[in-house]
Amino acid sequence: MKKKVIALLGNPNVGKTSLFNRLTKLNQKVGNYPGVTVEKREGTLVHQNTKYHIIDLPGTYTLYPNSLDEEVVYDTLSDTKGSYHPDLVVVVAEPATLKRAIVLYQQVREMGLPAIFVLNMVDEMTEKGISIDFDALRRLLRTEIYQTNARTGKGIEELIAGLDNDPSLYISTFQVPAKYAAALVDAKRLFPLAKEYSTWLNLAQENSKVLTADQRAGIVQIRQQYGITPQQLQRDESLVRHEELDRALEQIVIRGENKALTTTAKIDRFLMHPLIGYAIFLGVLLLIFQAIFAWSAPLMDWIDNSFSDLAAYLSAQLPEGPLSSLFTEGIVTGIGGIVIFLPQIVILFIFISFMEETGYMSRVVFLMDRWLRPFGLNGKSVIPLMSGAACAIPAVMSARNIENPKERLLTMLVTPFMTCSARLPIYIVIIGLVIPEGTFLGFNIQGLVLFGLYILGVVSALASAWVLNIFIKSVHKSYLVFEIPTYKMPDWKNVATNVWEKSSGFLIGAGKIILAISIILWVLGNFGPNDRFYDAESYVATEQPSLEGDELETAVASYQLEHSFLGYIGMGIEPIVRPLGYDWKMGIGLISSFAAREVFVGTMAVVYSLGDDVDIEDDGERTTLFERMKNETNRNTGRPAYNFASGISLLLFYAFAMQCMATIAVVKKETGSWKWTLIQLGFMTGIAYLAALVAYQLLK
Amino acid sequence: MQKNVNLGSLITGEKAKISQLDTESLPAKFYELGFVPGALVEVKHKAPFHGPICINIIANNTLIALRKSEALRITAERI
Ligand SMILES: Nc1nc2c(ncn2[C@@H]2O[C@H](COP(=O)(O)OP(=O)(O)O)[C@@H](O)[C@H]2O)c(=O)[nH]1
Ligand SMILES: [Mg+2]
Repeated sequence: MKKKVIALLGNPNVGKTSLFNRLTKLNQKVGNYPGVTVEKREGTLVHQNTKYHIIDLPGTYTLYPNSLDEEVVYDTLSDTKGSYHPDLVVVVAEPATLKRAIVLYQQVREMGLPAIFVLNMVDEMTEKGISIDFDALRRLLRTEIYQTNARTGKGIEELIAGLDNDPSLYISTFQVPAKYAAALVDAKRLFPLAKEYSTWLNLAQENSKVLTADQRAGIVQIRQQYGITPQQLQRDESLVRHEELDRALEQIVIRGENKALTTTAKIDRFLMHPLIGYAIFLGVLLLIFQAIFAWSAPLMDWIDNSFSDLAAYLSAQLPEGPLSSLFTEGIVTGIGGIVIFLPQIVILFIFISFMEETGYMSRVVFLMDRWLRPFGLNGKSVIPLMSGAACAIPAVMSARNIENPKERLLTMLVTPFMTCSARLPIYIVIIGLVIPEGTFLGFNIQGLVLFGLYILGVVSALASAWVLNIFIKSVHKSYLVFEIPTYKMPDWKNVATNVWEKSSGFLIGAGKIILAISIILWVLGNFGPNDRFYDAESYVATEQPSLEGDELETAVASYQLEHSFLGYIGMGIEPIVRPLGYDWKMGIGLISSFAAREVFVGTMAVVYSLGDDVDIEDDGERTTLFERMKNETNRNTGRPAYNFASGISLLLFYAFAMQCMATIAVVKKETGSWKWTLIQLGFMTGIAYLAALVAYQLLK
Repeated sequence: MQKNVNLGSLITGEKAKISQLDTESLPAKFYELGFVPGALVEVKHKAPFHGPICINIIANNTLIALRKSEALRITAERI
């Protein structure tokens, strides 16, 4: 079978991804370009004995990169030896911004790449008051022009058939301004085989990866010799091309009144209003927050129950033994711990795709940029940060929608500081234990502390963004210039594809890591180094002969946990956590809650022989746990284990620490790098440790 | 009233003709988006507290948002 690499190239928002979805159906995968956090979307299409490998390049306005995304575009197109070097470029345009697409098209052709031209969104031509003389345009571009509507699929068949054609010969129309002619002649000596325009591109690129060090030095030398800068060259090329195209298109494109813009202007009078606009956005945020926080709860409960039912059923069916326990407690519970996040992910991404599809997201960036920019973030960071207050997992995933890679990375690194719902059970238990009841200025003190912890989450997210912004270098200056699209009805197919892609990506990408860590934790908690673990029953029977029935069972469980690997690790780390005011039992809680923060409460219940199914929302059970924890003494200090100082220290530790393996897994998947994942884990744990240490030492 | 101003100092509803861009600090993207000398523009929205500015490039009939810091580097003539 013949093979052909096809690259979709065009401005942002012209419908490349919609076309890509049409062409590849669901035969696609999303990953990262090697070494950078730029989303790579590729897929395949088989048609008439040819296998097309299709790449959806990031949206770009020029071949001169100002961001990592745009760099990827230029690298892919210019690296003739790269495995993604296209055999055919499909330049995608939309009627209102035709000229911009033609500039890209010309540049690509003049680099020597075959290209065809697609005019997408033809359905909008009447509304936008545009008419085009296609015959004349075809003559101007010297290639076939395909008219498509990616929403309905109109014209896709013709486009697929056209992927096989080889476009006619192209003659460069770009006239290099006379003042650069001499410099270009010199540059040609460095690239004897290259096309004239490729040489020009090399001269005008600030930094091209495909050049050898010698060639780069040569270019720099020529630029110095003639006193020219890449910016001048880029500007002059742009001006020459636009002037020429304005003349050429005068007869080809006729513009009338743009009705879409009139409707958009009416809506924007509210949505972009300096006051009403913010009020509406706040409302939208609250709605999203409510949805991930509350609407997902019944679904999550249902998943939780189904998985524990399944585990119970399996353990009844399987012969007793470590294998059955691995299966039910390790694997089934581990998978349950992954699936449980799906409702939140699905709900959040329905909202986000809806906002992207309608064009509202661009308005959000417009409104919020001012407030997040000082921290090195972007207007779009508000969505991940806000949804991080429900759960960091969908939140980190939603950072994908931020185009600037540095701002995206920063957002992902700081989002887990937001107070997610998993921190709540720990906060409730510890606040209940160490913060006195009563009121302050008419407010419940315990409530105030809880509120303070939420504020702390926001402050630490922004503050760490501010600090990291100083350390993370960006190759490119941060610009924000973007087109605000006209409003559209959402294309539900795109929404569905997007939600599907995010959910399946999470299940497979992050799921692997979460499952692995749950199994490791299960092994640590279910095996011990000596017979105190395996023979716990006889040890407990000799130490406490009066126990029987349920009491005996929970005492054995707690004895086993103490003498499991996990227990020994808890004792092993005691010297490290002692300065924070914790004892080894709390150490066990810290380690096991690495799986997920909410595990802390359950583990403490096992350690204190209460059985692991304590329900914090049940008043009776909570009181028992509270009583048990209140009476617990720390054997190092002889004082109550949960006193004011150690309580505050524990609260701070959980506020800052990255105690959630699912988030780690998602960050790894989204950044595509263990380096950043570990840096994040390191600084979050570091801050947590320091804050807890200082608090305990000051308060004790 | 002063005729030559930077884009950032126009108020909502004002129209202007772009005269020059500070090329050294603005990337080629600005040209592609339509900020070319001679282009007619209208300020459509301004986010409060020196936030981004939304501009209609009249010839292309498109809305472009940019930060104020970049708008300051574009000079225009009020019309
Ligand atoms: N009316 C109309 N809308 C389209 C068409 N193709 C895509 N869209 C919409 O245009 C928006 C941007 O599409 P997308 O594929 O994300 O563009 P990309 O940024 O180039 O990948 C989405 O809201 C799409 O639903 C089309 O042919 N007609
Ligand atoms: Mg896209």
